[in-house]
Amino acid sequence: MKIIAKERLPEVLQLLAKDYNVLVPAKFEGVTRFTPYSGDVELVLEENVLMPPKDIFFPQTEKMYKFKAKNKSLEIEELPVEKEEQLIFGIRSCDLKSLECLDQVFLTKGYVDHFYKDKRERTALIALSCVRPQEACFCHSMGVDPQNGVGADIQAYDLKEKIGFKAISEKGQEILEKISGLLAEEEVSIPSFGEFNLKADIEGVPEKLQGMFEHPIWADISRKCLNCGACTYVCPTCHCFDIDSEVRGEDGVKIRCWDSCMFGEYTQMAGGHNPRPTKKERVRNRFMHKLRYFPERYQMLLCTGCGRCVIKCPVNMDITAIIKKIKEAE
Amino acid sequence: MKEITLQMQELARELLQKGEVNVVLGWEKGTFWYLSPPAFIDKPEDVERLVFDDYCHHNLSKYLMDYRYQDGKVAVFLKGCDSRAFNILLEDNQLEREKYVLIGIPCPGMKDQEKAKELGINGDIPLAKKCQDCKYPNPLVYDYFLGDKEAADEAAATREAKAIDYSDVEQIEKMTPDEKYDFWSSQYERCIRCYACRNVCPACNCRECIFDQSRTGWIGKANNTSENQFFALTRAMHVAGRCIECGECERACPMNIPIMLLNKKLIKDINQLFGEYDAGVKVDGVLPLGHFDKNDPEEFM
Repeated sequence: MKIIAKERLPEVLQLLAKDYNVLVPAKFEGVTRFTPYSGDVELVLEENVLMPPKDIFFPQTEKMYKFKAKNKSLEIEELPVEKEEQLIFGIRSCDLKSLECLDQVFLTKGYVDHFYKDKRERTALIALSCVRPQEACFCHSMGVDPQNGVGADIQAYDLKEKIGFKAISEKGQEILEKISGLLAEEEVSIPSFGEFNLKADIEGVPEKLQGMFEHPIWADISRKCLNCGACTYVCPTCHCFDIDSEVRGEDGVKIRCWDSCMFGEYTQMAGGHNPRPTKKERVRNRFMHKLRYFPERYQMLLCTGCGRCVIKCPVNMDITAIIKKIKEAE
Repeated sequence: MKEITLQMQELARELLQKGEVNVVLGWEKGTFWYLSPPAFIDKPEDVERLVFDDYCHHNLSKYLMDYRYQDGKVAVFLKGCDSRAFNILLEDNQLEREKYVLIGIPCPGMKDQEKAKELGINGDIPLAKKCQDCKYPNPLVYDYFLGDKEAADEAAATREAKAIDYSDVEQIEKMTPDEKYDFWSSQYERCIRCYACRNVCPACNCRECIFDQSRTGWIGKANNTSENQFFALTRAMHVAGRCIECGECERACPMNIPIMLLNKKLIKDINQLFGEYDAGVKVDGVLPLGHFDKNDPEEFM
């Protein structure tokens, strides 16, 4: 395998930054996220970042187009498209899996979202293997291999003192060639992965949920939920959005923004009716979507076991505990 | 705390068995050892889930709003800050006192969850920042009191006399307007507007929040520093004079934004302008910003 000493990783990133907008896992003011690489970023390689990579492809707020409305005429102005090639270094297996989920939503079933597609196509992915599970990780239970991501251009391996690189795609091969001058060839063994602290037995859950829409479990588990959107916004797979316009006089811009099924306004209808009036219906929808509706439509779960919601929920709504309750429910 | 836990369980069992209440709100152990999230107990056989330990941060009073229109009574465990929250909800006419059975617990202060995670179960875990300045660790309103009332009162008396440390607020006050703007912009640039701070806050009890009315145009759906700061400032001003300093907003924030700095600044200003005032200590309708007093300062007029 092609390897480099871990402390020399910035040299690799520096070199790649000549050709790409390189995004790296970094910490700023107590929050970790993918950040454009520069010499002074505080790299975070020991654990996954708090903010998932979804906002790179599907930003929290995205301008779609401008318009001018005057009397009965309407002019639409397309916004300039970014052309810069991007590269994410250090994306983990769980987050790669989340891109597979987002691809289903934005690229399949007869509709292609060009905003998403454009960013996806000009972004190369260097995955980084995990050495040990974090406290809230349970990716393995969701069918993800933390040491071998699916869909990356290059798989990098955390070898403790060193980092190894293996090209997966053709694009990955090209990238590897660019940095080959910095790498040495070495026989290495991938460190074994530790035991997961959290586990979830998902077997049969999507099927069981088909008969549980009216089950009392939802009233029970939703009681402590605050109906904030923290879980949905730190989730790598949650992808609900709302389209709105910002209008000043004749000029306007259409924007699309993340939305959350935890919010009351999310299902508020014209006339005031709300089909999901309380947290019971909202919590039910969130877990039904992740564990039943999405698998029914796309044959994959909408949870990758990254554990972010388990860590960040202010009241410890734990999806693994909820899966257990669903399994045990009569 | 083990002793308190046993007393909690016993009293909860009794209240449920006698049918005096339909549900008991307390805390139980969560996914990790340093988490004790809210628990809702409605069967006597479930009372053993209840626990009182160093991580019962959650302010349970806010949840009582979910039971306003349900039949029967609700029992709730209250620490000092939770009892102030209960008083604020009474003051704001959100709750009826008779509907709730209040079980007070003297609070030794909760421990810092982030530090706990970092230092491990055998580490020397400090008190959470929000608990270091607490003046009212004992419940101010209750029907039952668990633990030794006398000892608790003695411990609380020293706390009440202690001056609040405003050095963090003063540090910001010393900044130039540009520096302040840069500081707060950089904090609220990362706000994701998940509204965890609002939803956890007992003073945020409006039937319909301004931030849930995006069609009105007060605030857009777009996430940007300007809208985020508008949200933060509006919320801070709206809870001013009613913030009971439970610090739950800052603990709930997934983005590590120092929200209590804003609240503390307003508390400091209120104390200077209207005299020393602690929200949620008394329910007498005399709120510094919600009550007209001819003697209020009016230098700006």
